[in-house]
Amino acid sequence: MHLTQVLELFPEYTVTQLLFKDVKNTTELRKMAVNGEIKGALINPSMVVDSFQILVAANKAVHLHKNGKMKTRSLYSEIIFNLSPTNNISEAFKRFGISDSDSAVHIVLVHNKDEILNINDIILKVDGQQIAVDRVSDLTDVAKIKKLYKVAPLEEKCGSLLDAVVCRMATKDVA
Amino acid sequence: MAHSDSVKAGVPSYLKEAQMIKQGAEARVYRGTFLGRSVVIKERFTKLYRHPEVDEKLTRRRTTQEVRSILRCRRAGINAPVVYFVDYTTHCIFLEDIIHSVSVRDHIASAQASEQNPQHLQTLVDKIGEILAQMHDEDVIHGDLTTSNMLLVSGAEDHNMKLVLIDFGLSYISALPEDKGVDLYVLEKAFLSTHPKTETLFERLLKSYTASSKKSPAVIKKLDEVRLRGRKRSMVG
Ligand SMILES: Nc1ncnc2c1ncn2[C@@H]1O[C@H](COP(=O)(O)OP(=O)(O)OP(=O)(O)O)[C@@H](O)[C@H]1O
Ligand SMILES: [Mg+2]
Repeated sequence: MHLTQVLELFPEYTVTQLLFKDVKNTTELRKMAVNGEIKGALINPSMVVDSFQILVAANKAVHLHKNGKMKTRSLYSEIIFNLSPTNNISEAFKRFGISDSDSAVHIVLVHNKDEILNINDIILKVDGQQIAVDRVSDLTDVAKIKKLYKVAPLEEKCGSLLDAVVCRMATKDVA
Repeated sequence: MAHSDSVKAGVPSYLKEAQMIKQGAEARVYRGTFLGRSVVIKERFTKLYRHPEVDEKLTRRRTTQEVRSILRCRRAGINAPVVYFVDYTTHCIFLEDIIHSVSVRDHIASAQASEQNPQHLQTLVDKIGEILAQMHDEDVIHGDLTTSNMLLVSGAEDHNMKLVLIDFGLSYISALPEDKGVDLYVLEKAFLSTHPKTETLFERLLKSYTASSKKSPAVIKKLDEVRLRGRKRSMVG
């Protein structure tokens, strides 16, 4: 049910995505992410259009990590920061991270080839129902995303909402 | 993470596997796969004859200008490839691959060779005029307008023809009619020299441009001035 993909630019890195709904221990999960018990990014799925958006954020995070140019302290916080259309870090966490009242969680893990990843460890920590990652579109808050990324109807003539979102993410350093 | 690993990995080793489609004077263009999608990668390389620092700045500026203008166009509903990733250390841009497309240059050439359906080329230049007017209304100056830098997506009917603008490395933002006039002049030169006997067709393109933008009279006036200057210069030799 999870999705694991290799980053073509950094073939030694793999990104795994998991999606959960009806989560009852969000507060606890958030604490585990902060203290390192969960090595991953916990993302609010209502801000995710497609798993591709997450891959774009993860690829950029790994790239900046390898070049020593991250804007935040860890690879995982960098993924959350990269999702945001602005350069305000706390704003990014507020919008794209999870808050205690959320009942759905999109988990992103990045692992090196020679690291053993025990996905079951993560799954066991979540008190909720795991669903297929491609069902994230059921949880997407399209109106909120359009507002936050400032996607006007005119731009949607050029392509999908996903196109608009990833294009903003990729160009925010110079836009 | 071993250090030797991090040196080998990343964009340079990725490009070794990608297929080069164009080696230009300032950039190499490749086709590849990125995060599961088909992409075109544009790599600007350093010029050894330039001072390294100047060169770095210039190359970075081209990359920045390219992605900025693409975003600005897309926001205004003007087709340009989606930007997926930018590497400012190797000056690479990962772009959406506009699949099933031909350059307007190749398209006009083959339409002229087969001498069929002149109506179709008229529809095409009408569309080009309209899109360039929209682009100039957003104050985007392309900087390198040629028929090679416009892609025509095949499959669509004439009445909803899809044109995609590419190659924004020389672009900049300006509201000046003079800059827009020069932009059109560059296109006129390229168009007429690439496609023989297209004077009437290009005139039609400008008509469509004029009809599509409220700001066009000032631009066309500047275009006329620039043409005159160009002619004088060539008379002097
Ligand atoms: N996004 C794209 N999708 C499909 N084909 C593309 C795309 N971008 C570029 N191409 C193809 O590659 C060719 C070269 O690309 P581009 O015009 O951007 O580079 P260039 O002319 O070398 O750039 P410069 O003028 O800055 O040196 C184009 O003419 C087109 O055929
Ligand atoms: Mg070109």
